[in-house]
Amino acid sequence: MEFRHPFITNPKLAIYYGLFWITAGAAYILLLTFGNGVDFVDALVEVISFLITFAIIGAAIWYVIKFSTLENNSFWRIILAHGIAATVIISIWMYLGVVLLKVLQPAPSHWLEERIVNRVFIGYILYVIYVIFFYAVNYYQGFKEKLRNEGKLKALVKEAELHALKSQINPHFLFNSLNSISSLTMTDPERAQEMVINLSQLMRYSLKHDQNEKVTFKQELENNQLYLKIEKVRFGSKLNPAFDIEKECLNAQIPNMILQPLYENAIKYGVYEATEPVDIITCARMSRDGLEIIIQNTYDPDVLSKRGEGIGLRNIRERLQIIFANPHLLRIEDNKKEFKVTLTIPQN
Amino acid sequence: MSEILRTIIVEDEELARNLLKSFLKDIDTIELIAECQNGFEGVKMINELKPDLVFLDIQMPKITGFEMLELLDHKPQIIFATAYDQYAIKAFEFNAADYLLKPYSRDRLLEAVEKVAERIQKEGVVSDISEKVSDYPRGEYLDRIVVKDRHKIHISPIDHVRYIESMDDYVMIYTKEGRFMKQKTMKFFENTLDPKNFIRIHRSYIVKVDEISEIQQYEKEAYIVILHDKTKLKVSKTGYKNLKDVLNF
Repeated sequence: MEFRHPFITNPKLAIYYGLFWITAGAAYILLLTFGNGVDFVDALVEVISFLITFAIIGAAIWYVIKFSTLENNSFWRIILAHGIAATVIISIWMYLGVVLLKVLQPAPSHWLEERIVNRVFIGYILYVIYVIFFYAVNYYQGFKEKLRNEGKLKALVKEAELHALKSQINPHFLFNSLNSISSLTMTDPERAQEMVINLSQLMRYSLKHDQNEKVTFKQELENNQLYLKIEKVRFGSKLNPAFDIEKECLNAQIPNMILQPLYENAIKYGVYEATEPVDIITCARMSRDGLEIIIQNTYDPDVLSKRGEGIGLRNIRERLQIIFANPHLLRIEDNKKEFKVTLTIPQN
Repeated sequence: MSEILRTIIVEDEELARNLLKSFLKDIDTIELIAECQNGFEGVKMINELKPDLVFLDIQMPKITGFEMLELLDHKPQIIFATAYDQYAIKAFEFNAADYLLKPYSRDRLLEAVEKVAERIQKEGVVSDISEKVSDYPRGEYLDRIVVKDRHKIHISPIDHVRYIESMDDYVMIYTKEGRFMKQKTMKFFENTLDPKNFIRIHRSYIVKVDEISEIQQYEKEAYIVILHDKTKLKVSKTGYKNLKDVLNF
């Protein structure tokens, strides 16, 4: 959420605002002098000490709106908040206005002194106009931010898909898998055939999901099980995948391609570098906060790898942040023997 | 009829080993004497059995095929077999006989074996796999150094390296775990260590920046570097300039 004043983030808006009030002030002076026959000096003093002061103080009304947003508060609460805020702002305005008036015109005319009630009334009217104006500005800003987020999310989904495809045509995966198939055609043609089919399905999955942002957990899980199956053919007893999935999780909705980088990391940092068997355990259950998925793998602590937050993890984090506006949905624990990732996907 | 080639396979994936074995079975000139699943086993078996030919994968657990080659006392003919094409240049710098890209055909393998046979006829069994042209940088800096310490293989992360001293044809690498000798040149380390972290301060020394505690002048235009553990190392004129450049003083 943006807490800086729109006049600060958008100086153009401040200039328009200033021009508007100068024009309004000039019009008001003309109206008073020619329309109502008020003395020109009196009208000028009135405009400077009250109208312009209100223009300056009024900009602060934006903060009242920011803290009593239409979405999060009840109608009466908003009315109450604005009632109090309006009275406070108008009191300050009146006080400053009178001080300024005394400075400019130490002996004010009768006309200026009589206008108190009038000014208070105008103050409340202006306050209401401001509130409407700022709500409109905020709504517009929120709308623009939403568009921006949607665009960013689309880009991240594309990035995830590209990442998945890239890792599948990565020579380490693709050509070694093809080499395994080549080997199996001689010793075990049936398994060779099975592997060709698995590999095709895996690639088809990453090619077809270009538009759907969300899929069922079941779909994602099956796809990743395919991936693990293929790697299992290559690594045999070195790779031990295990699953503990509660049934009611399967229909939960999750962003697509969000699990793949996690399994890929587990294999890259766990299995590729290990000489001993590596367990990759997946648990899923429904919790109060939504679908909770835990993927953990053992790894050899002696292996040196520059393990940073790669594209995969960063992409997951950013997508969850944009979709659910919560930075704590991806948690990583690393105790130097075991790497554990916990994902929470809110459901509604 | 050429001579029998005593052969070892170093490959971490079982299916890849099976494929290679079944191809080799039909070649009369090949006698398979051992199979190794990783570089550690590879070093042990090659030094022990002294084969004529080794089929070597590159990406393997613990140490890579290249790192394994650096640790060999016995230098056999090497045929690399890997899924990556980007290591081909490096492989030929190691004077590899051939470079097979997985998946490869039986014919391609035969061709590679024939190349080895020809080479052996020309130059004898022992090939020279020590690096020849690799003394220039490859754009990527080392992140670990693999050394052999009597019978153990030691993998030193680059962060643990304190300084390196040249000793004729060898270098002595001082790390947090002790010192290790390796058959490499100073030039090699000067080019493959990150120059932001390691400075060549003398013909005989490369030192890690973080290890430096003081730079002292002991004569006009003569300096020494004092490390945190009080070790004193000489600094040459060029070395002093290098220090100045990196440390900005």
